[in-house]
Amino acid sequence: MKRVVILVIVMVLLLTMAAFTEGKQEKGPVTLTFWFPAGAITATSMPFRDGSRPWTSFEAENNVRINVIAVNYETMKQKLLTSLAGGKAPDIAMVDSSWMGAFVKDKALVPIAPDDAKNWLDGVSPDTRELSDWGGGKMYGYPNWGEDAYALTWNVDMFREAGLDPDKAPAYLAEFREYSKKLTVREGGELKRVGYAIRHVGEPNGIVDKWDWLLVSSGVKYVDPPTVLTGGRSIIDIPPVRKALQSAHDMLYVDKSTSLKFPDPRECLLKGLAAMQISELVSIQVRQPREAPNLKWAFAPPPAAEKGGKPAVHISAWNFSVLSPSRNKELALKAIKWYTNKENDFNMAKKYRSTPRWMENYNKEPFLSDPFVKQFKSLLPYGQPYPKNLALPGIMEGIGAAIQKIMQNTVSVEDALKGAQKKADAAIEATK
Amino acid sequence: MQMIDGFLFKAKKNRWHYAYLFIAPVLIFFGLFRVYPAVETLIFSFFKVEIVARRYQWVGLKNFSLLLRDDSFIRAISNTFVYAIYIVTISAFLGLILAAMFNSNMKLGSLFKAVYFVPFITSTVAAAVVWGYLYDPKFGLFNMILKLLNLPQRGWISSYKDALGSIIVFSIWKTLGYNMIIFITGLQNIPETYYEAAVIDGAGPLTRFFRITIPLISPTIFFVVIYNTILSLKVFDQVFVLTAGGPAEASTVVVLQIYNQAFLNYRFGYASSMAFVLFFMIMIITILQYSLSRKWAV
Repeated sequence: MKRVVILVIVMVLLLTMAAFTEGKQEKGPVTLTFWFPAGAITATSMPFRDGSRPWTSFEAENNVRINVIAVNYETMKQKLLTSLAGGKAPDIAMVDSSWMGAFVKDKALVPIAPDDAKNWLDGVSPDTRELSDWGGGKMYGYPNWGEDAYALTWNVDMFREAGLDPDKAPAYLAEFREYSKKLTVREGGELKRVGYAIRHVGEPNGIVDKWDWLLVSSGVKYVDPPTVLTGGRSIIDIPPVRKALQSAHDMLYVDKSTSLKFPDPRECLLKGLAAMQISELVSIQVRQPREAPNLKWAFAPPPAAEKGGKPAVHISAWNFSVLSPSRNKELALKAIKWYTNKENDFNMAKKYRSTPRWMENYNKEPFLSDPFVKQFKSLLPYGQPYPKNLALPGIMEGIGAAIQKIMQNTVSVEDALKGAQKKADAAIEATK
Repeated sequence: MQMIDGFLFKAKKNRWHYAYLFIAPVLIFFGLFRVYPAVETLIFSFFKVEIVARRYQWVGLKNFSLLLRDDSFIRAISNTFVYAIYIVTISAFLGLILAAMFNSNMKLGSLFKAVYFVPFITSTVAAAVVWGYLYDPKFGLFNMILKLLNLPQRGWISSYKDALGSIIVFSIWKTLGYNMIIFITGLQNIPETYYEAAVIDGAGPLTRFFRITIPLISPTIFFVVIYNTILSLKVFDQVFVLTAGGPAEASTVVVLQIYNQAFLNYRFGYASSMAFVLFFMIMIITILQYSLSRKWAV
């Protein structure tokens, strides 16, 4: 027994020494870990999913190896938070704009060097500048090419078949309802195609994203003022919002021009199950050539809540950020600066038929005469990102639940919005 | 070396040292991964916790008082209990029926046992993903069957009315096999002589079942009930995958609320207070069930 115990202790010591020796002997290129959101719905992570290997030349020029890791979009935020709490976060990550507030508050993101930030903010489009600037020119990441702008997209052929002008989008909610009714197709009493496909399931964030056009256009202010990281006040439960959501509810239960039994709106449009949908334009732009090559589609700002009102285009982006536990911050910052430089921005946006960040690229061919880019610019005057406030997840949870309750017809619009307001107030209170 | 010799000498003299030496790895890992997180959760529940920045602010019982006014949490508790009641009763009952069927020398009994047990050893997440497709209101198999039978189609997991029920059906399918196997084990421990004596006395199958089988497997029944109750109160995976608690919180459960508050809303202190309440609930229910089992068990 004595010999066995001694043998075990000696083996443990040897293994420990071997492990330490191995660590010290490690040589060769530095490794940076990079997380990107996987899944069909995050279109701008496409270069990491389609075999393009976009880091290759940076790796060669800087004697670095970038370990590219796909993380499920649905749980990426939680995984980032856990890895940060454990001090083992990736060096670089693509971070959704709506997650950044909490990370910034906890100093989890490395600020971009002031000169680089100034250079970026001076050179990019105004909407990109708005997404990038955290006040006074401070930046914590570079928004990626292919901005998420939430537009109304429609099937041109279906508009034509229904006797509608395929070049003209409905401009306000009442008109939108009429269009949706005309575009709905039934066979033997069964709904075959909806006029408008709605998002009503999943995470509250995803639901609010797809209803932001109606909420903001009818007067919702998630946090007022939108620039404070904590505190402020939320404006949700007001008569115009009640009216707008009641109208959306009636599309489902009175007009029956939409349905809860249809899949994700983007899928509906791409599969010909819906004539209209409102979501991230970049998703349709990147997915359509692969998933629905024969689909003819067009886009415009979503309808305003009232005739003559101002439409709301929700804009957001995936940001390339360096996380504070990184042991190679300088190199990681260099990597994200390189990835989003003018040349890469141009090449990626061109390859995926999307929008660049840099104004200089916007003013070059093929973007200068690209009808998509030209039309995209028409959305930007209505663009509005989410406020950079810590209460945002709680506020969205309340609004997302309210929209679901309204669409499921379980409570009145008034009660649902009252509940959302209560949740939002509590979330803001918790940030103080 | 002298130190090791000294330790081994003492250990030889007091044999319990060996015992501690052998169970030390388990104790260390149990302490590290079970006891420490549980204690830290309890401590966190009295603080506002900012986990990344490691900032902790004492809030006393504020998190617990907020829980009482949190409609989502109250909804989650109610849903969790509804879920637990259905799972414990239906899954245990069906498990017992199946066990009684397969305990006899039924043809292809082993095959059926395997078929019923497979869902239990399948990954919950993987199975839930597949069931998500089956439940799809537009393209799912279940609605296609209803359509073929000319029955009205349902919203399943997309519907406020059906969502929790759909998760319950999935969970029964998932846990049934385990309950069946446990009951079969219990049934096989009943000596055949009792049944033979009962037959001689003229007892029919139902009398034998209720007068011999049920009393003699009551420890197994209590085990199944306690096990299923604890498992049901901690339900998470299938809810997260199938509905994420929706639509409109129709299928939200306590652990999902804990997860959302901690990892989506960054309210770790508040989430910890929810976890503590859940722990307390499970403890009380388990103690109650255990006391009852001691009172009624044969």
